[in-house]
Amino acid sequence: MSGGHTSAGHPPAEEEFDPDDPRMTRFDLVREGARRDGVEIVHYEPRFTTPGTPEERRIVRVIAMCFVITGLSALAFIVAYVAWPWEYDAGSNINKLYTPILGTTLGLALLFIGIAIITWAKKLLPEEVSVETRHDGASDNTERKLTAATALSMVDELGIRRRPLLKGAVALGLAPVGIAAIMPLGGLIKDHKSELLYTAWKKGVRLMHDDGTLVRPADVSAGGQITVFPAIPEGNSNKYADSPTLLIHLREQDAVRTRDNALRINKGAQWKNFVAYSKICTHAGCPASLYEQQTNRLLCPCHQSQFDITNNARPIFGPATRRLPQLPITVDSDGYFVATSDFKVPIGPGFWERS
Amino acid sequence: MTPARSDRPGGLRRKLGTAARLVAALVLAGGVYTAFAPSSQAEDTPKQDLSYAAQQGQHLYNTSCITCHGRNGEGVKDRGPSLIGVGSAAVEFQVTTGRMPMARQEAQAERKDPVFSNSEARQLGAYIQALGGGPQIPDGNLRGGDISAGGELYRVNCASCHGFSEHGGALSSGKHAPSLDEATDREVYAAMLTGPQNMPVFGDNELTPQEKMDIIAYVQNMKHDQAPGGWSIGAIGPTTEGLAIFLIGITSLLFATLWIAGKS
Repeated sequence: MSGGHTSAGHPPAEEEFDPDDPRMTRFDLVREGARRDGVEIVHYEPRFTTPGTPEERRIVRVIAMCFVITGLSALAFIVAYVAWPWEYDAGSNINKLYTPILGTTLGLALLFIGIAIITWAKKLLPEEVSVETRHDGASDNTERKLTAATALSMVDELGIRRRPLLKGAVALGLAPVGIAAIMPLGGLIKDHKSELLYTAWKKGVRLMHDDGTLVRPADVSAGGQITVFPAIPEGNSNKYADSPTLLIHLREQDAVRTRDNALRINKGAQWKNFVAYSKICTHAGCPASLYEQQTNRLLCPCHQSQFDITNNARPIFGPATRRLPQLPITVDSDGYFVATSDFKVPIGPGFWERS
Repeated sequence: MTPARSDRPGGLRRKLGTAARLVAALVLAGGVYTAFAPSSQAEDTPKQDLSYAAQQGQHLYNTSCITCHGRNGEGVKDRGPSLIGVGSAAVEFQVTTGRMPMARQEAQAERKDPVFSNSEARQLGAYIQALGGGPQIPDGNLRGGDISAGGELYRVNCASCHGFSEHGGALSSGKHAPSLDEATDREVYAAMLTGPQNMPVFGDNELTPQEKMDIIAYVQNMKHDQAPGGWSIGAIGPTTEGLAIFLIGITSLLFATLWIAGKS
């Protein structure tokens, strides 16, 4: 019944195709079905002319083993998912192996399904060569003519061409409806400008540590730095992610040099030996907090921009092109650090409206 | 042997003259000496003022450290900074990690095999402390802190330079924040307290001793923790992970693709 079916040349084009013809084999039906989809089966040959050869049995065993492995791995996954201890426990213990075990078992299960299927296709399924003809893109010629005639007839029967008043009325009436339909898109238009220009810092906002305590000058030793946030509710949360600031206590000589180098925009921003710069890198927004106390450079870890703290945090290396904004600070009557205004320029990376 | 009285001036005047000449000569000699003697020859701290440990430290100092740090820790220009006021914490850190004695002047002193034992390092520390005072590492157990509080503090203050997994990170111009793998509790405490080389100083007002111990507990716990993903491949992030993906992952996918699409 299954012999080789090589290219038989022409199909029975003169006679109509009759699926109930008793002379038709099932393969003939398959071939005709493929032909109607534009695929011509050119070469179709089973791999094993006689069933049951040792070679075939070996391959079948291999594929069966793949499925067995799949099944066992999937079972292992189910058991591990339910029964393996997973809660965090400090130190080295089997709880830490939970994720790797789930990954390995499920991965093996899926992998061997794939291996089994591919092996089946390569080794057991018949060799087949099929050719698919390339169609023209356009529809059938007759169809095109019929459709065109219908469409043109519709337009003529509507009579809009010879009734200009109707033409004008339709145009004027429907145009606003079209615009009304897209009005909800207006809700997508937002003015984010104020979010980009200003941070949570304002005149009178105190500096606070990450844990909420306010900052005194004695908190930072010479040569030290500390990350500070605005002392408002949720000041250290993502809600004010543009506000983290680095407070640096410079050594005496460096502080003098920094004050001398201060540009007009940064005049008065330094309090004694303390300077505060925005932590958000002006290149791409990573927190630039790698402070080198002897070279007075601030390094950003993402793209290695370096800012010279003693010279208005000017970038001296790396892709950043704009100085880090300086937060003007002073100490209030209670001895806590307080900002005297917001940053004088927008923080962080550049954006379209940035002047 | 009595000279004739008539040959010289009166006896009292002669004696006074002699005395005056003697005094003048002494003043001249002393003045010349004072004017031209090098002023850096200040006296060493007298031995009886130092504790036993500091005396041992002084002996070690005078044989190993003096060429760069000067006779009394005042430093030598272009060779070594002054040690007045750095405290025993800094000394213990630098000496137990082997950074001092420094191999050569370069961007950063690297950790290497220590020349002195831990007790010798403490003796050196005691001597420098006696010379100029400074911060000291507290004695006792430094690991009694809260791991999760230490984790928060580590991530805010330390992770940017030392990495999320304490395997260090690059700094500018040839410097780097070293891995914390080999650091002991005392070394971590001392490094935070004194800010060696380019590390910022985290004084006790900024990170209280308890907070420092929290960080130490976190760091030491992390080092003995197991990677929850199975294998951290160095825990330095994109470099090793990218290499693994390319060498193992992409290669396997390539071979799998070739196998699937191959002639069958």
